[in-house]
Amino acid sequence: MRLPQVRRLQVVRHCVQLTVLLSLFLIPTIARYQNYVSAREADRVIEKWQGTLAGGVIASVDSVFRALPGGETERAGSMQRNRQRIGRYTHQVRGSVWSADIGPVSLTDPLAAAESVVGSRHFPWVLAVGLVIPVLVTMLLGRVFCSWVCPAGLLFEITDALRGVLRFLEINPRNLRMARGTKYGMLAAGLLLTFVVAAPVLGYIYPPAVLSREIHDFVFATFDRAEHGRFGFWVGGMSWMAVVMLTIVAIELFVSRRWWCRYVCPGGGLYSLLGAARPVRVKLRHESCTDCALCVAACPIGLNPMKNQMGIECDNCGACISSCNDAALGYGLGVHQSASIDSDGTDETLAEDAA
Amino acid sequence: MKELTRREFLRSLVGGTTRAGFGTGLVYGALELREGRTAPAGARGDLGIVRPPGAQIEVDFLSSCIRCTECADACPAQCIRYFGPEAGALHATPYLQTDQRACTSCLDCGHACPTEALAVLERKEDIAMGTAVVDERLCVSHNGSGVCGACHTACPLRNRAIVQDYRNAPTVNPEHCTGCGLCEEFCIVKDRRAIRVVSGRLLLGPSDEARS
Repeated sequence: MRLPQVRRLQVVRHCVQLTVLLSLFLIPTIARYQNYVSAREADRVIEKWQGTLAGGVIASVDSVFRALPGGETERAGSMQRNRQRIGRYTHQVRGSVWSADIGPVSLTDPLAAAESVVGSRHFPWVLAVGLVIPVLVTMLLGRVFCSWVCPAGLLFEITDALRGVLRFLEINPRNLRMARGTKYGMLAAGLLLTFVVAAPVLGYIYPPAVLSREIHDFVFATFDRAEHGRFGFWVGGMSWMAVVMLTIVAIELFVSRRWWCRYVCPGGGLYSLLGAARPVRVKLRHESCTDCALCVAACPIGLNPMKNQMGIECDNCGACISSCNDAALGYGLGVHQSASIDSDGTDETLAEDAA
Repeated sequence: MKELTRREFLRSLVGGTTRAGFGTGLVYGALELREGRTAPAGARGDLGIVRPPGAQIEVDFLSSCIRCTECADACPAQCIRYFGPEAGALHATPYLQTDQRACTSCLDCGHACPTEALAVLERKEDIAMGTAVVDERLCVSHNGSGVCGACHTACPLRNRAIVQDYRNAPTVNPEHCTGCGLCEEFCIVKDRRAIRVVSGRLLLGPSDEARS
């Protein structure tokens, strides 16, 4: 059975990724705004911080809340109460891609849960509840977190595009290939270290977690500084993220294409293992395929869809499907496929080097 | 002077800027100017770290906390802060700077916590973040320089955790005090508060085990 091809799948996917990245900034901002509202300080703060970054952000959040139904009423006195009532709903959305609560729905990254369980030798019920949806979705659809949600994945895709710019400037970036098993080694080593030192360690280098935390910290720091009368853009709150992300981006730009997601990411490894028996896979219609290898060039994970052997590494992003001019690729249902670690395409078909 | 080809020029340009950018990031990280955000581990001296309500003992807390940011997002008082990378093993774990912003005992953070690092508490009386300690030399009601009573007014467990005496001189009852820090936040002695929360929660210290 073949699922219908979704048109403009990549546009939709990038929109979802952007929304996630934007909400990493928005959730702490709204939490902070609600704090000012409940402290009866929102209007004073907007007035006082006029013309600054923090003031502008708070003012625009405030105008959006006023525009919402029930946000502004005739009587000026009830304004505060209405904003607080809306705040009761926004208060239900919290967290980041590492762990989030959206209303009654609780979501926790399986890697975070694994680290917590291994580190504390204790598996509480709240954690199990938060794991249900991510694990079920991964078992059905595979590594979709990597392609649809992960904010670092979006940044690395931009880095990947920058490699094209480098090549245009006649600086040929290298494309070092490593063993795909490295990520499972990272996962095992990280969990072992977590067990030994009884504190999560992978969360400090896992890019989506680092991004979530440091963006949150950055937003809070911006308002904290504003409360102390210091304004202006300030990048210091993103210090650890700068170290982690700049290292990865530098390697991906000059040494190895999509290095982190392909070879190293422990979270991607865990998602790969969870999605090993997923029913939704990318399938090839042999009779339509013209062996043009466009899909091989498009695959961010560096797989070869023309082999029709999408194993556990594929993140179902659909880049190969969108790149195919002959409608030879599409999502299909079926579990009976090799669950071994995927091999790369051959050197002749790996198009990055050919380009 | 040796002539540069276009390729060499571009290569040096790109190489130079990336090196500069990478260096800037590292310097920012090394300088770590997190103004007003975090105190390095142990900056409260022997007062210990004040963790959010319901936190397990320090060893278990550090192992089960996944360093997400849900407790701070849930906190309506916005009193929960996070340590920066300079705090080492405490990096990104939540704490309270009670003299700047104290806990209002709403208990939302326990409900938000995706692991049981912060336990779900039902009553604010169950909170045990620390104990307020009065410095009788600094307290204006105690040392005779005035009549205050701010801490008693701010205390969510008034007349149980803090009781007043002659000239509103406060006395803390450690049995009831939750360590929320409202008294410390509202203390009128601003340079060094006359009433401060002592958690005894030093990193992996024996006093922490004793607390459990």
